[in-house]
Amino acid sequence: MLSFGAFAFAAPGMLAMLLALPVIYWLLRLIPPLPKLVRFPAIRLLVGLEPTEQTPMKMPWWLLLLRMLLAAALILAVARPLLNPQADLPGSGPLLLVIDDGWSSAPGWTTRIAHAERLIQRAERGGRPVVLLGTAPVPIDQAATRRGALRPDETRTILRAFRPKPWPTDRAAAAAELDRMQVDPGAYAVWLSDGLEDEGAARLTERLRRFDGLQVLVPDQATTPLLLLPPVTEGRDMKVRALRPTADGPRKAAVQASDEQGRVVARFDLDFAATATQGEGVLPAPAELRNRMARLDIETQGGTGSTVLLDERHRRRPVAILGERATAGGQPLLQEIYFLERALDPYVSLSIGDLQSVLTRNTAVLLIPDGAIPSANDRVEIAKWIEGGGVAVRFAGSNLAAGGDRLVPTPLRLGDRALGGVMSWGEPSALAEFPANSPFVGIPIPKDVRISQQVLAEPTPDLADKTWARLADGTPLVTAEKRGQGYLVLIHTTANTGWSNLSLSGLFVNMLQRLVTLSRGVAGDGVNKALKPWRTLDGFGRLGAPPAGVQTLPADAAETFKPKPTTPPGLYGDENAQIAFNIGGRVGTPKPLVLPAGVSTDRMSEAGEMDLSRWFLLAALLLLLADLLISLWLRGLLPRAVRLGRATPAALLLAWAAFSGAPDAGAQQPQPPAPAGQATNDRSGPPPLTLEQALKGSLDTRLAYIVTGDKEVDDISKAGLEGLSEILRNRTSVEPADPVGLDLERDEPRLYPFIYWPITSTQPALSPRAAAALDRYLRTGGIIFIDTRDQHLSFDRSTGGNPDLKRLLAGVETPPLVAMPPDHVLTRSFYLLSDMPGRWQGGKIWIESGGGRVNDGVTTVIIGANDYAGAWATDQRGRGLLPVSPGGETQREMAFRVGVNLVMHALTGNYKDDQVHLPDIMQRLRR
Amino acid sequence: MAAPTTLHRSVELAGTLPALMIAADRVASTVIQGVHGRRRVGQGDAFWQYRPFRDGDSATQIDWRQSARSRHLFVRETEWEAAASVWLWRDASPSMQYASLKNADTKAVRGELITLALASLLADAGERVAVLGGGMRPTSGRVAVRRVAETLFDETRDLGEASSTQKRALPSLPPLVPLPAHGTIVLVSDWLDPLDRIEAVIRYYASVGVRGHLVQVLDPAEEDLPFDGHVKFEGLEAEGQHTIRRVEAVRTAYGARLAAQREGLQRLARPANWTVHLHRTDRPPQTVLLSLYLAMADLRRLNAA
Repeated sequence: MLSFGAFAFAAPGMLAMLLALPVIYWLLRLIPPLPKLVRFPAIRLLVGLEPTEQTPMKMPWWLLLLRMLLAAALILAVARPLLNPQADLPGSGPLLLVIDDGWSSAPGWTTRIAHAERLIQRAERGGRPVVLLGTAPVPIDQAATRRGALRPDETRTILRAFRPKPWPTDRAAAAAELDRMQVDPGAYAVWLSDGLEDEGAARLTERLRRFDGLQVLVPDQATTPLLLLPPVTEGRDMKVRALRPTADGPRKAAVQASDEQGRVVARFDLDFAATATQGEGVLPAPAELRNRMARLDIETQGGTGSTVLLDERHRRRPVAILGERATAGGQPLLQEIYFLERALDPYVSLSIGDLQSVLTRNTAVLLIPDGAIPSANDRVEIAKWIEGGGVAVRFAGSNLAAGGDRLVPTPLRLGDRALGGVMSWGEPSALAEFPANSPFVGIPIPKDVRISQQVLAEPTPDLADKTWARLADGTPLVTAEKRGQGYLVLIHTTANTGWSNLSLSGLFVNMLQRLVTLSRGVAGDGVNKALKPWRTLDGFGRLGAPPAGVQTLPADAAETFKPKPTTPPGLYGDENAQIAFNIGGRVGTPKPLVLPAGVSTDRMSEAGEMDLSRWFLLAALLLLLADLLISLWLRGLLPRAVRLGRATPAALLLAWAAFSGAPDAGAQQPQPPAPAGQATNDRSGPPPLTLEQALKGSLDTRLAYIVTGDKEVDDISKAGLEGLSEILRNRTSVEPADPVGLDLERDEPRLYPFIYWPITSTQPALSPRAAAALDRYLRTGGIIFIDTRDQHLSFDRSTGGNPDLKRLLAGVETPPLVAMPPDHVLTRSFYLLSDMPGRWQGGKIWIESGGGRVNDGVTTVIIGANDYAGAWATDQRGRGLLPVSPGGETQREMAFRVGVNLVMHALTGNYKDDQVHLPDIMQRLRR
Repeated sequence: MAAPTTLHRSVELAGTLPALMIAADRVASTVIQGVHGRRRVGQGDAFWQYRPFRDGDSATQIDWRQSARSRHLFVRETEWEAAASVWLWRDASPSMQYASLKNADTKAVRGELITLALASLLADAGERVAVLGGGMRPTSGRVAVRRVAETLFDETRDLGEASSTQKRALPSLPPLVPLPAHGTIVLVSDWLDPLDRIEAVIRYYASVGVRGHLVQVLDPAEEDLPFDGHVKFEGLEAEGQHTIRRVEAVRTAYGARLAAQREGLQRLARPANWTVHLHRTDRPPQTVLLSLYLAMADLRRLNAA
C-alpha cells in the first residue's frame, strides 16, 4: 500500500506503468490523426500545393491531452486508488465479526453494516477468511446459511442479508456457538456491539478475549437504543415512558403517534432528565384521536424497541350511566351513580343522562343502576341497541327484585336473597374463583369482599354458561348473555354499598374495566383462547405478515410474553380483535455494556475508505467516448449538422462542464444555452407584441402584406394595398388605414384581418417560428391571400404546382384547396363578379375546401395567380403604376372590385351568403 | 432528376428580363435571315431610309411616290432583318456535380439553369438557339427552348445511364464543331481545366469569327477553400487524391492559383473579343444572366428605345 495522506494505492506496483506515459506521448505525437476526406472538384489547383511551414503534421494539443489523460486514468484505476485508506488488520488469522443484531441494533444499522463491510474489505485485501456471527437468535423461517470461516465475498453476501431482529440478543448462546464453530484461535475478533449489557455479555467477552486480538465497537450516543414502554393510563392522561441505558445528560426524544393507515395523529416529546434513565411524556391527544392511534414510534430511531403497538386496551371508550347526577344537596355516598362514576371516571369518557340523550350519543357501554330502572319502552330501545353491539350492564336492587323486568340475561326469581343478616344463619358470602369463560379471569379477588344481598337467577340449563362470577356457594353474581353483537350483563348486587361492599373494592374497578373492554371486541368467549399471530414487527419496527412458524400465544400470554423467534412482538388475534404485544416492558431494563479492562474499544463510523478505481474507470470510459467522437469528427464521418467547425472542441468542453457541473441547471433555466451552431426549434407561444405594434394594428383596420425581401415586389405590394385601401374608403364603409408590411420572422400577424402575400423565388423559406405564427393566424380566423403572380408564365397550369409556393408554405398547415366554385360568396360579397382578374386575366382562384366545416365556412387561404397588387398599385393621382393586360383600365377596375370583394369577405365572412336568401325570407314574412 | 423544375425556374428567370436582342456586328450571308431589324440596310419589310438614286441601282428599287415629290429619284431602302444564331453549351462533366452546401444547387444544375434561361430569353427575342454539339439546327420560338432543354436532359440522362455500366463522362471542354462565321456561342463551365486546353477551344472558334461568352460557374467552397487541418482531397473526375496537412496554410496559395486561372481565362478571351462572366452558386443566377444580357444585347438600340 502506497499512501499519500488521505489517498493511497492498494496495488502501487501498477503505477510503474505511468513510466510508459512518455512513450505513449511520443507514439501519439508520431501518429497523426487520419485526414478528413473531402471531395473537391478543383483538386487540380491544389495538386502540388504544400504548406510553406515544414512542421510535421501533429495531433491538436487538446486531443493529445485527452488521450494522455485516458491512459493515465486507466493506469491509476488498475493501481486501486483508495480514499481515506485504513491500515491492514492486525494479526494473521481469520477475521471474526460478532454483530449484535437484536432489537437494540436497529438505530444506526446502516452504520453497523457499513463498518462491517469495510472490515470485510480489509480482510479481503489481506486475503483472510471471515467468520460472521450474529448474537441474536436467528428467525425460524431463515434459510440456513453457511457458518464458519468463509471467503470475504461470501461473507459479504451473507452480511447484506443481515437484518436486526425484533427480539433481544442471546450472547451466551452466541458464545456457545463460537465454541461449536471451532474458530481458529489466531483470529482477530471484532465485536460490533449494541452497547447494552445483558447476562451473557460477560461470557461472550471472556470467550472473545481468548482470540488473538479483540476490538469492541460501541455505537455513539446518537444511535444508543431507546426502549419505548407501552403507555400507561394515569387518570385522564396517557403517560408514555422510555428507557435509555445511560443517563448522559438531558435529552429529548420525539414520539409520533400514527393511525392504522400510517398517518401521524399526534407528536410529542419525551424528556429525559440529565441524570435519569427514564424519560416521560404525555400523549396529548383528545379521546377521539387517541382511539384512532395504532402505534407510537420514537422518531429517527426506527426499530422494534422504539415502537409500541396500541390495541383496544389503550383506548378510551364512551361509557354512559343512566340516571341523574347527584344533586348538591343529596347524599352522594348513598347513590349508585357516585360509585360508578368514581370507579370508571379516569379510564373512560363518562356521561350521565336519561336514555334519549345517552343513546343518541355514541356510547359503547351503558350502565344501568337499579335506581334508574328503565320503562317498558326504554327496555325495547335498549334491547335494540344491544343487538347493534352495545354492552349494557345492569345492577340489581330492590326495584329489580320486585320483578317484572324481562331485560335480564337470565330469568330471575322474585325477591332477593339476604345473606348473613340478623335473621339469617349464614355469613355474607365471599367470591369464588372466576370461571374459565369469564372475562374477569386473572383479576385478583380481595379477601374481604362480601356480598350480603343479591337477586337470584332461576336455574336454567344454560345458567352455568351465562355465569361470569359466582359466590363461594356457587350462586351467580354476574350473569351475562350475548345478544346480537352486544352483551347484556347483570350484576346481581347493587352498585352502591347497600347490598355488598363490592363497590368499595378494587375488584369493582377491575371488573368494570373488563366489562368496558367487552365493548372493544375482545369478547368473553375469545379472551381466554390462545392468540394466533396476526401481524408481527420486524427488526426495523415494520408491521408485516407473520413469518412462517410463528406460534400462537397461550391464554396467559399477557403475563408471560417474551419476544423470541417463535413469538415476535406484534398483533395477535384475528381480524376482528387483536392484542398488541410489544418489546417494551418484556425485556430487561437497558444498561450500558460493562467491559473488562484491557479490551480495546472504538466507535462505529459510517465514513471509511473508498475504492476509487471504478470512478477512474468511468472517467477513462467517458474519455474514450469523447475520443471516439472527436476521431469521427476529425475524419469528417459525423453528420454535417454535428460538424460545427472550429468551435466544436470548446462546445464539447462546455457541454461536458454543463452536464457534470450543474445537473440541475436545466431546471433553473427554461432554455439552457445551446452549444454553438445548434438551432433551437422554438414553436412555443406567440411572440410578444410591443405596445406600438399592438396599438397600430388594433386601433385601425389595416390591410397587411408579407414583406418578401424583394424590394420591387414589396413596393408594388405596398402601393397595391394603398390603392385598394383608397378604393375601399371611397366606395365602402370600410375605412382602412395605411397598409402594413409584415415580416413573418419578426412580426405577429394576428392583428390583421387580411394579409396579401406575393410569392417570389427569392423569399427564404419560413423559419419554424414564423410558420407557427402563420399557422396560429390561420387557425384563429385570419385570411391570407396568396398571389403567385405567375399567370402570364404558367399558362393556366395549376397553381399548386408553383415550387416557390410549396417551398414557402412547407411549414404551414394549409387546408386542402379546391378551385373556387362560380357561386362562391367571394363573387358577391360586395360586387357581383363573374371573373377574378388582376394584372392578368384567367386562371383560377383556389380556396379552402372546408365546406363550412372550419371557421364558419370562411376560407382562410385564397390563392390566385393574377398579380393583383400589380393591378391595384396606383400613384398619388390614382393612376395605375403597371400596365394591365389584356383588358386595360376596365380590367383594372374589375381587379379593384375583386379586391373589394376579398376584403369584404375577410371582414364579413359568409354574411353575403346569407343575404342572398333575404328576398325569400322577406317574401315569407310578408305572407 | 430536377430537369422539369430547372426548366420552370429558367423560364421564370428569363421572364424577369426584357426581351434580349443579339447585336449582330457583322453581317454575313451565311446568317439565316431573321425577324427583326439589324439597324442597317438590307433585306426586310420595314422601311429604313430613302437615299438618292445611284448608278447601278435597279430600277425596281426606285420609290416612285417619293421620287414624284421632287426632282430627284429616291431609292427606298428597307432595314435588314435577321436573326442571330446562338449555340449554347454547358459543362456536364462530373466535376460540375458538386455542391458544398446541402441545400445549394450543384454547379451543373446552376449551369443548366443559366443555359436554359438564356435560351428562353433568346427564343423570346426571336433568335435562333441550338445546343453546341447536339446535332441540332438553330431554331427559334418557344419550341426552341424545349428542344434545347430536351437535348441537355438527354445528354445528362445518357450520362446517368452510362455511368452505371461504363465510366463514360461528358467532356469538361466544349466539342469542336464547325460553325458558320459570326455565330455566337455561350459556354458555361467551371473552366478549371488547364489553360492551354481552353485556349485551343477559344482559338478554334475565334478563328472562324465566332463570338463567344464564357460563364464560369464556381461553388463557394471552390473559391474560399473553407477547410481546416489535415484533409485528403479527392477529385470528382478520377484525378486521384491529394492530401494536404494544413489546408489553412495553403489557402492563400490556392486563392492565387484560382485568380491566375481566371486571369488566364480573361487573357485568352480578350483578344478574341470574347467576354468572361463569373458566377457563384450561392449567388442568385439573375446577376450573371444580366451580365450576359448586357454583353449580348445591342445596348445602343436599348438606349434609343
